[in-house]
Amino acid sequence: MRQLSAIFILLLLSTGMINAQGDLMDLINQDAPKEVNFTTATFKSTRIMNGHSIERMPAGQLDFRISHRFGTINSGAYNFFGLDQSNVHLSLEYGVFNWFMFGIGRGTYEKTFDGFTKFSILRQSSGARVMPVSVSFFTSVALKTLKAQNPDITNYYSSRLSYTSQILIGRKFNQSFSFQITPTFIHRNLVTTVLDPNDLWAMGAGGRVKLSKRISLNAEYYYLLKPSPDYMSQKVYDPLSIGVDIETGGHVFQLFFTNSLAMIEKGFITETTGRWLHGDIHFGFNISRVFMLKSDY
Amino acid sequence: MRIKKLFLPLTLVLVIAFSSCYYDNKETLYPVLSSACDTTAVTFSVTIAPILSNSCASCHSNATAASFGSNIKLEAYADVKANIVSLVGSIKQTGGYLPMPKNGGKINACSILSVDIWVRNGMLNN
Repeated sequence: MRQLSAIFILLLLSTGMINAQGDLMDLINQDAPKEVNFTTATFKSTRIMNGHSIERMPAGQLDFRISHRFGTINSGAYNFFGLDQSNVHLSLEYGVFNWFMFGIGRGTYEKTFDGFTKFSILRQSSGARVMPVSVSFFTSVALKTLKAQNPDITNYYSSRLSYTSQILIGRKFNQSFSFQITPTFIHRNLVTTVLDPNDLWAMGAGGRVKLSKRISLNAEYYYLLKPSPDYMSQKVYDPLSIGVDIETGGHVFQLFFTNSLAMIEKGFITETTGRWLHGDIHFGFNISRVFMLKSDY
Repeated sequence: MRIKKLFLPLTLVLVIAFSSCYYDNKETLYPVLSSACDTTAVTFSVTIAPILSNSCASCHSNATAASFGSNIKLEAYADVKANIVSLVGSIKQTGGYLPMPKNGGKINACSILSVDIWVRNGMLNN
């Protein structure tokens, strides 16, 4: 009997202790700050279409991108609606930290080498810290390597360079809809005439609507602030791109139509000569293949 | 860890090293002009008005514009300013605008550059 009562008391005590432990856990939970839920996958890839999105490569991941823009669709059946004239851009882009990535690339357009870095400044989050938007800063250098048209004059190395800076401000409104605005500044070291501005400002807007789990509809537009008077030696138009993202495991395919030929910011924002209304539309695609170079960083 | 500490200053150095901005344009960097072209003191009354009266006035003066110049007047300051975009496009003859002067060669490079500089300086009535 004594033994039984002792066991009973022990049981009681132990249950009490378990209860007490539960209470303690509650206390700990109360004191601990709520978690910060960072928004992920605002866009499927580091590009919306032509231009960069707020997304970065995570640390230790290498993105190999193969992009093509073909000739204009209105060049007719003889040119296979532009597919005979292909324009390539290859790039390797690496995430050093989760908040920092850089990349190098080479494009057919004006035989341009380019390098860029992208920093994450703010991340959209809910929970303990509420941040309505994600903000990244993007900066790039483009080096044109076309042979000089006139070798008799002094051709400066600096004349080949142009610079781009962008502030990418994006928000994932819900699972299917994301939107981004992109104030852009572009500097070109050499322009054709006195009236062509070396510095140009543009405002980009882009977004995506998910059609299914793996497919999304994307669109992107850049408004180029033209100088006053709006005379430039080359008549340029604002770039508009519309297409789809298709995600398949480690690949992201982006297929779209655009009126610009170049695949770097300086090219497609300031040197787009095609017009949608005239049918100067290029079919294009980007293929992104991600390699994990460091599995646990 | 050491690399991480070095990383930010290194990036800043790289960014500054790459940011060597030039404000060049082919017109002034490679002048194909005679040495007599004065690009420093371009004014409407001394530089621009004489170019217009020499090369354009036969069709675009106040008197002739209605009959020969599609009613585009290039004599008074206000008229020149109002038509400046097409004027620049036309005299450079790079497409997009009717090449001018009609049935004649381009006006000389110094005159074109002078018009450019006058526009860039804000199209002053000076």
